[in-house]
Parts: sequence; C-alpha cells; structure tokens
Amino acid sequence: MSTDFIQLVVGGILLGGIYGLAAFGLSITFGVLNVLNLAHGEFLMLGSLLSYGLFVGLSINPFISAILVIPVFMVLGVGFYLLLLKPIMDKPPHQLLVASILVTLGASLFIEDVTSFFWERPVTGISYSLPPIELACVVISSTRLLILLFIFALACAMQLYLKNTFVGKSIRAIVQGREGAKVVGIPISRVSALAFSIGMALAASAGAFYVTLFTVTPVMGIPLTIKYLCVVVLGGLGSIVGSVFGGLILGVAETLTAYYCGAEWSPTIAFILLILILIIKPEGLFGAKK
Amino acid sequence: MNHGGKKIFYSIVLLLWAFLAALPFLGFSYGVVWVFLLVVYFTLALSYDIVGGYLGYMNLGHSTFFGLGAYTTAILLNQGFNLFSALLGALLLAAAFATVISYPLFRLRGAYFALATFGLISLIEVLTTNLRDLTGGSGGISTPPGDHTLASYYLVLAVAGVTMVLSRVVARSKFGLALFSIREDEEVAKAFGVPTTLYKGLALIISSVPASVVGGIYVWNMTYISPESVFGLEIALSPIIMAMLGGTGIMIGPLVGAVFITLVQEFLWTEVPYFHLAMYGTVLVLLGLFMPGGLVRTRWLKPVVQWLGLGEAVDYFENADAERIS
Repeated sequence: MSTDFIQLVVGGILLGGIYGLAAFGLSITFGVLNVLNLAHGEFLMLGSLLSYGLFVGLSINPFISAILVIPVFMVLGVGFYLLLLKPIMDKPPHQLLVASILVTLGASLFIEDVTSFFWERPVTGISYSLPPIELACVVISSTRLLILLFIFALACAMQLYLKNTFVGKSIRAIVQGREGAKVVGIPISRVSALAFSIGMALAASAGAFYVTLFTVTPVMGIPLTIKYLCVVVLGGLGSIVGSVFGGLILGVAETLTAYYCGAEWSPTIAFILLILILIIKPEGLFGAKK
Repeated sequence: MNHGGKKIFYSIVLLLWAFLAALPFLGFSYGVVWVFLLVVYFTLALSYDIVGGYLGYMNLGHSTFFGLGAYTTAILLNQGFNLFSALLGALLLAAAFATVISYPLFRLRGAYFALATFGLISLIEVLTTNLRDLTGGSGGISTPPGDHTLASYYLVLAVAGVTMVLSRVVARSKFGLALFSIREDEEVAKAFGVPTTLYKGLALIISSVPASVVGGIYVWNMTYISPESVFGLEIALSPIIMAMLGGTGIMIGPLVGAVFITLVQEFLWTEVPYFHLAMYGTVLVLLGLFMPGGLVRTRWLKPVVQWLGLGEAVDYFENADAERIS
C-alpha cells in the first residue's frame, strides 16, 4: 500500500515535469503579452508530431529533438506573433481580450483541423525507453527521470536567462509593468515577439517529451491548453516557480486519481483542482496577493 | 430617440417570426429541420449574450447548459415524465448548476474565465460518459420514439421569442444597467454599490435557462443524443461565433450573426466536405483581427442599426477602456 503510494507519487512527479514545462511557456506568454494563448496546446501537439517524425524518419533521440524543435518553433512563434497578435496589441484592454481569444482560438481550431486532415491515425508514442532504476523498493523509469532532469536544467537556464541577461530583464520588466517598461525605452513589440516565441518553443519542447509517454492525437490541443491553464492558476498567475510546482501537483494528482478511481476519471482532476484553488486561495499557491 | 425606426425593427422581427411559423405550411420539409437547428443556435447565441455581451465575460462553456438540459430531459422522459415537467426539471438543474459554478468561476476574469468555462464542457462530457447507469455512457441515450418535428419546431420558435423578450427586458432593467457597468469597469461598479458577485451569478443563471430548455426540446425532437453530439465543438462554438460575428451586447447582433452564418453554411459547408472547423477558425481569426465589435458595428451596418433605434449599445465598443485582464 505505502510502497504503491510512493511509487505513484514518484511517477506523478516525473509526469508533472512535462506539465510544468508547458505551463511555464503559457505563463511567460501571458505575463508579457497579457494574452492567454489558447493555441498553446496545439504547439505542443505539433512539437510532438515533429519529434515523432524525427524519431521514425531519422531515428533521432527524443532528447535531441527536444532541443532541435526549439529554434524551429521560435521562428514559427515570431511569425505567429507578427501575423496574428501584433495587429491587435494596441487595442484597448477589453477589445484586446475579445480579439485575442478569437484569434488564438481560431488559430487553434485551424491547426487542429488541418493537422487531423493530414494525420488521421493517432501517433502511439515513441518506443524509446531506458532500463528502469530500482531504488529502495521504488521502481523509477530512468527515461522519465532523465526527462525531469532535462526539464529542470531547462527551467534553471530560463531562470538564469531572465535574471541575468539584458533581454531577460526587459521581459521581466514588461511582466511587472507594461507602461513603465515602455517609459524606460524597452522595445515592447520586439521583446513580446521574443517572449511569445520562447513560450511556444517551451511548449514544443514539452511536446517532444510528451510523445515518449502518451498517444498523440491532433484533437488533444485544446484539452491540453485547459490543463495548463489549471496548472498556471494553481501555481499563481505570472509565477514561474508556481507553474512548475503546479505541474508537479497536477501530475501527482492525476496519477493517484487514475490508480484509485480509475483511469477514466483522471481528466476531471485538473478541473477539480482548479475549482478548489479558486475557492480556497484564488491567487494561487505562489501568486502575489493583489 | 427614433421611435419610427424602432417600430420598423419590431415589425421586421414579427414578420420574420410569422414567416418562420408559416414555413411548415409552405411545403419546405427540409427547411423545417434546418430552421429548427438554426433557431436552436440562435437561442443559444442570444442567451450567451447575456453573460458574454451584457456582462462582458466570455462564457465559452455556454453549451454545457444545453447539454445538461438535453440529458436531464432525456432521462426524465425515459422515467415517464411528460415533456413539460421534464423541461422544467432540466431548467431547474441547469439553473442550480449555474448557481454552484458561478461562485468559483467568477473569481477568474478575462481570458482565464473564457478558458475555464471552455474546460467545463469537457468536465461535464467526461461525467456523462462515465456515469453509464444514468446517461448510457458514450453510447448515448434515446428517448421514447415519436415524430415531434412540427411540435418541437413551434416550441423552439416560442422559446426563441421568449428569449428575445427576456434579453430585451434584462437590457432595459436596472439589473441590465448594473451588468453593463460591470462590463465597463468592475471595480468602479463595485465602488458604486453594485453587488457584483450576486449579479454576475444571476446573469449566468438567467442565461442558463433558455439554453437548457432548448437542449430539452432538441433531444425531444432528435430522440437520440450522445455526449459528443451535445458537448461537441460545433454546438459549443456556433452560437458564440454567431453572437460575436453579429456583435455582442446588443440584441440584433446574434440575429444578424445567425442569418450570416446560415448563409455561409448553406453556400460553403455543403460544397466543401472538409475543413469545417478550420473555416470556423479562420472566421474567428478574421473577426478578431478586423472587427471584434461584430458586423453591426462596422461602418456599413452601424448607421442602419442606429436608425432602427438600437444605437445605445452600438457605441460602447469604441470607448471601452475597462481593465479586464487583471
């Protein structure tokens, strides 16, 4: 019983790393652009498909694809920003909200439909695994452990980048106050493009790992975006540490639900957590009180 | 204001209704089925607008109420209840559900509210799929057979009419004014003594009622539903696109949007078998980029709307500077 429990928690934490990485991307986009990107999950799905294609076609290791997808999706992200988001960024807040939901939801439906037209069969994961590690009666999948370490390293690198470089500081400055950042001469539009492309690249990178663990279908984008929203709200809006912890919590909660209540109930737990956190602590676990 | 224009508007609406009511006798049997669905979507769009337009909270999960209403009605009909008590049950359940979820969900604002309500659809869909004994699971549920095409057609026309009156009454009342003030600036509205939490909840409950009743009529007509057919993307997004395309926060908006979407569907959908979702997506993107205020607020239609005496709600989009995303 207790061994089972520890085993499940460890498994959940390893799964939660992927959630955290993608939610981190969503959070950074929202922080800088004030736009919730409803197409976030679609980029994860595209990242998964690309990584799958690289594995099947060129037998490239998913860890390498996780890095390879980053520049590809950064370019796509800049394109997406310039084409669809930049034209609406100067609208007053209420119009920006409506316009951004319409644009990102529309893009999301478009990507989903076109992808499912060309990709009819669901992709049943990459058969890539390393021998498991057994540690004091708990079996740890070493693939998942490596993924978690990789994600941890990526998150640390991101954190250092945001803390120490000039561009990173200007990203954080925009998160803290858009008007103030504009006053001190930060080129809002260029930094926004960069932040958006980083968010997208993180989603795609998470997608490269996602495909090693799960079946990927073209219609999974919107449900995933909703899941990452739950993670972001759980951790606290705009908090990077929060979204990683939120991801870990959701990973553990989903694994436990699937084991004790049955796998068909695990999709509900993200939403239940969202409702709970909104009732108990609406600003999120790591969110600053407004 | 321009009372002559307003009379013309009401006459047009009444004429349209009279024409639709006469439709079954003009021999368009295909038309009746088709208009039934259109009116269902229109009613959903109109009831969505009470929260999405008047209150300014984008409730992407509006079809949850539709699905709940459809399932409740189907289950009650199977238990031997007559249609009206089944519809009443559906209405009460949806209203109760709206009451329960309004408390946590209205703590979110802006895009977060929109996405969370969108997630609500899949939550209820998972629930209906999993509670097999009650709902028949993913196999769906059938109601007692019978041809209710004509009766349900008139019923849904009546419900749509009542919803239009309801929407107008809400817009004209002090309560409606409070909703508009929340849309413009929630903090200021609160400071002026508007009980925002209560009114947001009430708005959601009011908008849930027509959606659930229409859902009930839908299942009575179709005699079979599955989780996919009532919680799917098509039924979730069509009404919202109609409302946004026409223009939110103004009653004529969903009407214009419904007519426009119907024409597009008739000419495009039937010609092209693929990419329906992608086309919806493109419409959404174009709307967001070029006219988030909807058709009624474009340069060409705005003078007409103002001449019809419905201008008061047209103007708000220009000077809206409320901080939504906090």
